[in-house]
Amino acid sequence: MKFSYNFLQSFFKKKLPPAEKLAEKLMMHFFEVEEIEHLKDDIVFDIDVLPNRAADCFSHVGVAREIAAIIGMEYEKPKADFQEDSESISDLINIKVKNACSRYTLRAMKGVKVKPSLPYIQKRLKSCGIKPINNIVDATNYVMLEMGQPLHAFDGGKIGGEDIVVRFAKKREKIVTLDEKRYELYDDILVIADEFSPLGIAGIKGGIVPEVDKNTNLIFIEAGNFDAKTVRKGSQKLKLRTDASSRFEHGIPPEFTKEALDRVVTLIAKNGGGKILKGALDYYPNENKAKEIIFLAQEVRGLLGVEIPLKEIERILRSLEFKVRREGDTFYAEVPYFRIDISIKEDVIEEVGRIYGYENIKPVMPTVQMRLSKESASVKMEKIFRNLWSAIGFSEAYNYSFINNKVATSFEYKNLIEVEKPVSLEYKYLRPSLLPGLLENIKENEKNFKEIKIFELGRVFFYDDVAKEKKMISGVMAPDNFYEMKGALDVFFEKINIEDISYFPVQDENFLNLNRSAKIISGDVVIGYVGEISSEIRGKINLKKKVSVFEIDFEKIVEIASEIKPYDQISRFPFMIRDLAVLVPEKTLHDEVLKEIKNAGGILLRNIDLFDVYKGESIPEGQKNFAFRLFFQAKNKTLSPEEANRLQEKVIKALDSKPEWKVRK
Amino acid sequence: MKGENLELIKTKFLQEFEGAKTSKERRKICKKYLEDELSSVFASLKKLSGKEKAELGKEANNLKELFSSKMTMLKEIKKEKDEWIDVTLPGKKPALGSIHPLTRTQRRCAEILSHMGFVTVEGPELESEWYNFDALNVEQDHPAREMQDTLFIKQKNREKLSPRERLLMRTQTSAVQARYMEKNKPPLKIIVLERVFRNEATDSSHEINFYQLEGLMVEEKLSVANLQAVTKLFFHNFFGSDVDIRFRPSYFPFTEPSFEVDVSCTICKKRGCSACQRTGWLEIMGAGMVHPNVLESAGIDPSQFTGFAFGMGVDRLAMIKYEIDDIRLFYGSDLRFLNQF
Repeated sequence: MKFSYNFLQSFFKKKLPPAEKLAEKLMMHFFEVEEIEHLKDDIVFDIDVLPNRAADCFSHVGVAREIAAIIGMEYEKPKADFQEDSESISDLINIKVKNACSRYTLRAMKGVKVKPSLPYIQKRLKSCGIKPINNIVDATNYVMLEMGQPLHAFDGGKIGGEDIVVRFAKKREKIVTLDEKRYELYDDILVIADEFSPLGIAGIKGGIVPEVDKNTNLIFIEAGNFDAKTVRKGSQKLKLRTDASSRFEHGIPPEFTKEALDRVVTLIAKNGGGKILKGALDYYPNENKAKEIIFLAQEVRGLLGVEIPLKEIERILRSLEFKVRREGDTFYAEVPYFRIDISIKEDVIEEVGRIYGYENIKPVMPTVQMRLSKESASVKMEKIFRNLWSAIGFSEAYNYSFINNKVATSFEYKNLIEVEKPVSLEYKYLRPSLLPGLLENIKENEKNFKEIKIFELGRVFFYDDVAKEKKMISGVMAPDNFYEMKGALDVFFEKINIEDISYFPVQDENFLNLNRSAKIISGDVVIGYVGEISSEIRGKINLKKKVSVFEIDFEKIVEIASEIKPYDQISRFPFMIRDLAVLVPEKTLHDEVLKEIKNAGGILLRNIDLFDVYKGESIPEGQKNFAFRLFFQAKNKTLSPEEANRLQEKVIKALDSKPEWKVRK
Repeated sequence: MKGENLELIKTKFLQEFEGAKTSKERRKICKKYLEDELSSVFASLKKLSGKEKAELGKEANNLKELFSSKMTMLKEIKKEKDEWIDVTLPGKKPALGSIHPLTRTQRRCAEILSHMGFVTVEGPELESEWYNFDALNVEQDHPAREMQDTLFIKQKNREKLSPRERLLMRTQTSAVQARYMEKNKPPLKIIVLERVFRNEATDSSHEINFYQLEGLMVEEKLSVANLQAVTKLFFHNFFGSDVDIRFRPSYFPFTEPSFEVDVSCTICKKRGCSACQRTGWLEIMGAGMVHPNVLESAGIDPSQFTGFAFGMGVDRLAMIKYEIDDIRLFYGSDLRFLNQF
């Protein structure tokens, strides 16, 4: 919000510090001055007044009060002094408040000469970005900048009936605003109306019908306290934000209405003459009561961690216009009516701390009991998994948590969670898999790299009765190489000590090439898949390269993974090696044969290497030959050749018992 | 022929070999022993039989092995001269992967803070309005709840659902605070390093998703002075002990008092540069003493416990640390970028 340096200076007899100095002070004790703009004869501060202080500091008086407290200078509030006429406003009009307004105050003037305002007023308005119009409109804007209360003046002669009404608009009611724009209203938009039609949109903008012009004789000036939420919603619905609405949106103390009206009639009368009608119409059914907050000196010390002299605490609060009484260590602070942000003692202590200066607090490390800080398996394993995949040669990526419609339909995703009004349609759905992002990464990198290996560990989202999220870990590799990817996975599982991993051809994941992809199974739980993206999907997402991929459910392995396993004793005794060749039908899985060998070989069969898979010449049509090398070893003795032969025989027998398999001799 | 004789030959050989002055002499010695000495040894072996023959035969073979290994070594020494390589030719690099700079930055943060006893905890990215706003003292009609920067989830009859049922993508990791405090009783000392979301257009410093570091400590007695000390120690470890830290007043609904914390510009050292918009300071962190309402809504008695909390953008920390000028690089997955880490 913009503040004029000259305007601020006008509240002080003594000279204010130079702009840069003052800005620095404000930043350390109040709010940030985001910009200092030097005009020809003024300086403009753009102060980032945060929402909790909008009520009292969207105004020059509010900021002047802060300056006074921070640099310890006296400031003077603007004065209202005027003579009222004998004619009374109550003879002319009534006010009726029906909705969403806690106070509505109205004053009237007659016979004001409409003309340009005094130069100083025009300049200050301009400094704050408001265009001067005439002495009446300018005075209302000036008082808004000064005190924070938006005001609105309108021509009493252009009003129909005897009442001014604050009410919600009727459906389809229309209004043309001062800037000649036409708005259709809704039944939750508050308006000021006469007996027949809306005169203005309450707290947002005046209507053109009762506009003050050079023929105006009777002027009504309103100061309302309209409901913050109603104004904000209305302003959003109509897409109409004004200086007034931004103040109402944050809430304004109701006490402001009367003060502001007294001030505005003072200003108008001084420049434009005319008479001020007696009294003000004032709807104010529930008057605010002053709050008193009680706190102890040790609570200030406890929360801030610094010893501030009691006298200093009193001085600071008084400078912010609290009424302070102290009995021993107990403070009784009456909150000034304009500080609607203050309701508990922590609020008051913050005021003390900020004016005292946070730079005057000496940092002190907390004194606490020592405790073990133990991270969860999930946090710990994330670290280990990332390290492993990077060691295996994959680069870590962070992709967006969203997918667009095209991806959703290409992969035929079901149960997607949809985002409400995303800024871009790229973010229409939450990602149900890490894969689409990673495949996109392949496309982006293929012009620069021949070999691409990327992984990601992140969260995915889906409906499963209710909306759910879970962590996944996924990787892609181009050019494709199923066995390299599977080997990478085997190393990964080995290093996190998950031993019961097996693979089984996939049947139902349609984005994969079903002939070249496998489910990954731990025990009897499917924990993920590895394989090749189907050409159909590649066509849809325009991915030219064949790609190997995997995706693993993080939650399913995090609990079974472990960093540590007991050391497996190395045998001092030599291996006995035996080779074995077996003929099986072409589509028999290696794992099936392996399982039979393992079962038959027993505990002394320490290791099995597949060293050849052969099809073709000398092998019958539709069959293939597996060549295995078996390593027999005992932990407590050297196996004799006879023992090894016996074990081998056992394995052969087991394999031969399968009708379609045949061990070659 | 006896074992002692073979031992004698070995000693004699070693003496002669070590005594020789040139490699030419050594070669000669090896040749002599390999040819002359050994052939007479093997000749005499023939006369033996049985166990004796086997044992001595083994020893004779060991002797032969010794002579020929010395001979081989001499040949290799001679050959080395012809094995020159260009040591300035490029090496063959193993294909390593990389760890994302945001992971690295998160780890560094967690490491420093865990040394102070903070433990990393997790919370959901898909969050309810309750934990993201209500539990954090963000009132029902607070402007932040409106559509402008929160990513809400499309739900049927949303208006009729309770705040605990209405879903959104969390806008701040503070949501995890509320969850954690509900389940765990003080004293607490936690950090959260996770992804958050804002529904805003992206540019070089804004992303639809980014990462936050959140810290929370709840104890019987904590003060602003304590908060200052902990954050100072953190920044001194993260950026180096030459940075200055300053606390300025600010406002967050979930803390009271609230602060904006600045760190002196790591690039220009407070002289003023484009990175700090010529102010000499980088605005990095929001912090404050946990608002009593927040403690209360988590079932913690604010008259018994106080807390402090702080939060900052991990992306921003990483950008400063690695001098990265565009946040979108983090989410673009360009290997030319990723492989630098």
